Amino acid sequence: MKEIIIFQTLSFMLSLFVLPGYLSGQQVFITNEGTLKFKSDAPLELIQAASTEMRGAISPSERTFAFSVPMASFQGFNSPLQREHFNENYMESNKFPDATFTGRIIEEVDLRQPGEYTIRTKGMLTIHGISQERIIKTNVLVEGTKCTISGTFTVLLADHAITIPKVVHQKIAEEIEVEVAATLRIKSN
Amino acid sequence: MRSWWIIGACLLVGLGVLPGQKPFFRVHPFPEEFRQVRINEMLQASSNYIWLGTTDGLFRFDGEVVLSVEFPQPGGPFSVTALYEDRQQTLWVGLESGAIYFMDHSGALQLWEIEEGHPAAAITAFGEDPAHQLWISTYGEGLYCWKGGRLYNFSREDGMSGEEIYDMGVDSFGQVWCGTDQGISLVRWKDGSKVVEQLSLDQGLPDEIVRFILTDGQCGIWVGMHDGGLCRINPRSHKVDFSLPDWDLGVVSALACFHNREVWIGTETNGLFRLDLKAMELEPLPLSQGRPTNKIYALLRDSEGGVWVAGNTPGFYSTNRQFEFVENSPGDIQSVLACPHGQVWIGTQKGLFLKPVLRDTFLSILPQLPLNVISLYEDTFQNIWIGTFGDGVYIYRHSDGKFSHIGEGRQLQNGSVLSMDGAGPTIWLATLGGVTEFILEGDPLDNGTIRSKSYGQESGLGTNFIYRVMVDSKGRTWFCTDGKGLSVLENGAITTYSHADSIPLKAVYSIAEDHMGQIWFSTPDRGLFKFDGQHFSTISLKEGIRNLSISGIATTARGQLLIVHPSGIDLLNPQTGHLIYFDQEVGIPDAEPNLNTLHADNSGNIWIGLPTGLIRFTSLGPQLRIHPETHLERVSAMLEPVNWWEKNEFSHEENFLVFEYVGIWLTDPESVTYRYQLDSWDRDWIYANDRRATYSALPPGRYTFRVSSTENGAFKDEPIVSYSFRILPPVWRRPWFILLAMAALSALFYGIVKNRDARIKRIEKLKQETIKSQYEALKSQINPHFLFNSFNTLVAFIEENPKLAVKYVERLSDFYRVILAYREKERIPLEEELQLVGDFGYLLNQRFGDNFSLSIQVTPNAGFVVPLALQMLVENAVKHNVVSKNKPLRIRIEQVDDDYLLVANNMQQKFTAEPSTGFGLTGIINRYALLTDRQVVVEQKEGEFRVRLPLLK
Repeated sequence: MKEIIIFQTLSFMLSLFVLPGYLSGQQVFITNEGTLKFKSDAPLELIQAASTEMRGAISPSERTFAFSVPMASFQGFNSPLQREHFNENYMESNKFPDATFTGRIIEEVDLRQPGEYTIRTKGMLTIHGISQERIIKTNVLVEGTKCTISGTFTVLLADHAITIPKVVHQKIAEEIEVEVAATLRIKSN
Repeated sequence: MRSWWIIGACLLVGLGVLPGQKPFFRVHPFPEEFRQVRINEMLQASSNYIWLGTTDGLFRFDGEVVLSVEFPQPGGPFSVTALYEDRQQTLWVGLESGAIYFMDHSGALQLWEIEEGHPAAAITAFGEDPAHQLWISTYGEGLYCWKGGRLYNFSREDGMSGEEIYDMGVDSFGQVWCGTDQGISLVRWKDGSKVVEQLSLDQGLPDEIVRFILTDGQCGIWVGMHDGGLCRINPRSHKVDFSLPDWDLGVVSALACFHNREVWIGTETNGLFRLDLKAMELEPLPLSQGRPTNKIYALLRDSEGGVWVAGNTPGFYSTNRQFEFVENSPGDIQSVLACPHGQVWIGTQKGLFLKPVLRDTFLSILPQLPLNVISLYEDTFQNIWIGTFGDGVYIYRHSDGKFSHIGEGRQLQNGSVLSMDGAGPTIWLATLGGVTEFILEGDPLDNGTIRSKSYGQESGLGTNFIYRVMVDSKGRTWFCTDGKGLSVLENGAITTYSHADSIPLKAVYSIAEDHMGQIWFSTPDRGLFKFDGQHFSTISLKEGIRNLSISGIATTARGQLLIVHPSGIDLLNPQTGHLIYFDQEVGIPDAEPNLNTLHADNSGNIWIGLPTGLIRFTSLGPQLRIHPETHLERVSAMLEPVNWWEKNEFSHEENFLVFEYVGIWLTDPESVTYRYQLDSWDRDWIYANDRRATYSALPPGRYTFRVSSTENGAFKDEPIVSYSFRILPPVWRRPWFILLAMAALSALFYGIVKNRDARIKRIEKLKQETIKSQYEALKSQINPHFLFNSFNTLVAFIEENPKLAVKYVERLSDFYRVILAYREKERIPLEEELQLVGDFGYLLNQRFGDNFSLSIQVTPNAGFVVPLALQMLVENAVKHNVVSKNKPLRIRIEQVDDDYLLVANNMQQKFTAEPSTGFGLTGIINRYALLTDRQVVVEQKEGEFRVRLPLLK
């Protein structure tokens, strides 16, 4: 069952990014420049970084979604060395280039109707190659052909097998706060 | 298999629903302003409170008062659809809106704040698995699990049969049973992944719409369905191991289960039923007269043997399941007999009555005979022995109606048979004319013979009036006599106990043997006695028995002693002596019962005949609560509630404390009384009826507040709730402060003393130095060398210049006078010292002529100096240096830096040093050190010997 869902979501993503026009008559909201910020608030250091290259799509009719962000696209950090560490040591961005979240909207909302919604999304959050099922609360504002999403959630490093040496715990929080904001636009195929 | 057969039999007789003995329901009204609320959920918390989740909020019931609990957020109505208490005793409240609240220590509801947000669908149930994970079912979003600080969802895509979960329960294996429209989804975690299994029609479920799930640890999994009635599922094999066929009583909306005994069933259209699992008897339990309660919303089994019911009529109902009232029973019962196969016989003045198995009507037996039945017994041939008042005994067989009569005569000494008991073929008859022993040889109604033997006063019994006979488990036969105490027949010999230790025994009315083999008997005036074979002990009013007119006692299936008296029924634990009272609250009327009108059947139920009718007492297991549950509800300091569950220190100003406590005893809330004590304040327990204790002006110290509650006023083994706290002394009375203050004081004192010491020493030293210097000065001044030189100089003048000689002598005498005048002083004005030095200089000038010069350039009144300091320095200069024509000695005295005097001379040391005491310069330095912090500076610079003296103020 689960495999089928994942397969569906993957093919759905493919249709979005690789084969536009494959699905016809379906309206989807997509973005290529969503923002994803994260913050590690450790006792000795505050690390913040953001990517503006989050790609994503929401299908209001299916109530499904898929989001992806390249790990290498994160900017910020407190030093270039830190960014290098982030990509090479912790996230292993060569091996696991993207973080993804794909799944379904729990609430039975019709995002084709303009309005403001607070929804909960249930899906698989994949970071560092490890998938975890998550429920993430999101605010959605639909205005015409635009759909703005925003939300925050936390990621436990241990959940995604991101191991950091114990001494570094004072500098890197074990729980990372993540903030998402994106404006998606409707695209009809 | 057998049960199926019985059900089949019931259906054959056409009685799908069978009536029987009825619980006594009390109705508890809701407060006027909440008349319209509907109760969705009921929960008994470990605090013993009953929580009611309604369409208009949460309510708490303490047995007497229904109290509305406020939600922290404004708005509403808050329709509570799920209630749960987890193992940490936290109350969880789920709303129709999907919001989830929990109750904090102070009893306030808090919104459950989680990152994932609350469901948007109605919460239908909570559950906790053995790994302490909280499960939440919703109607519309499937199942949630709070695991490791994160919320997980189980929906259709995870394999759930549906996302509209009517009800959910977690069993002791951690399996989560969810009832949906498509059967049951059985959910669990396995190695961190979701496992969902389906149970539906294919697996033997009678109906796929599952409305109610009961996962009560002791009962298996009971399932209530939309059309299929109810069934039970084995939690290990997941097989349906029981179901009721041909259910046509509608939707099952609630279930409650008494372990292996019966299941209470609430339906949506036909009211309340109960299924007796032993007799397979299904009977309706009407809740109210008038408008019937046909829609049942919630059922709850409490910890005291009670059942709570909420339905579509106002308020809610409770009953104590231990006491049931047999319908249609004749009144004024004189004797009761319950047979092993379920028949119940009743003897009254008007005859003998039989309640057949599974029927609630009483048939009149042998109506043709004028029977005044006062005792009943069933022999081994299942014949009923009917003891009458005055007419001997009848032996009756119900199967064919055959009977025989033994009247007063050769076999039976007296026709008034008050009591019968027996074992095997032996039957004992207690009469008003002694005791008769019958030994049956064959069925007496089938030509068997009866041998008889009589015992009376002549056989060793104290009297011929015998109220009761009992054969105990050791084969002894006990006789309760009127006026002559208790007698026992053992191995053919009668022993009579006319005294219980020192207490004289007169009439003994009733007798029973407990599970430990101890004999209990009741007397009309001294209460209850226990005889363990060696000693007697008594339980009377002091020990908590409410009424001494005990009419009967019997032992329950759980080994308690049931005591019947006109004030009701007391239940005694023979080991602890703890008593529980039952009376009108559970439906037992105030009435004087006849003697020995109770009988224990072989299932441990006790049938009690009262003037008003027949009561069945059921011994419920497992352990029922026997005490009110006492707990501290609030502690206030200075009338402000404090968070006492974590705070245990108060400042000395917070010494006005109020403790509010409560003991919840649902069986009879009004009977609860309290006692409390504040350790190290109250000398004794304080007995009270109200729920608060007030203490004002408590002095600082350590305290423990203890409180316990009782429902029977006895305070024997009631658990005590305690709260220890400290009132801190004010800062100035705390040890550290006192120590610190003492330390500071002693340091100050020490300082003063030390200072004074030092000053005294310094003064002493100064005095010594002064004396020394005076001595030295004097010594030097009258030193022969000086005198010799002075006189030589004088001699030179006398003839050449007598005037000058006179002047010289005057100056010399001036010099000595001044030394004498100043030697006592610590300091002298510079001016005076200068005059002295001037005199001295004059003397030296006269002696050395131009070879010596002294120049003084100072402001005369610039300050003070140590007396003779300048003189001594000048003298030193003369003493240590060559004074000659070639090498004249020049001494300068100047004021430098305003507050220093410089005494300088050109250095031309003598080759042969004058003998020196070493005192001169050192003495000056020492004396200055005692008077000022400013130093005397001695230096050799630019060929000069320079001494800088600080000018004193």
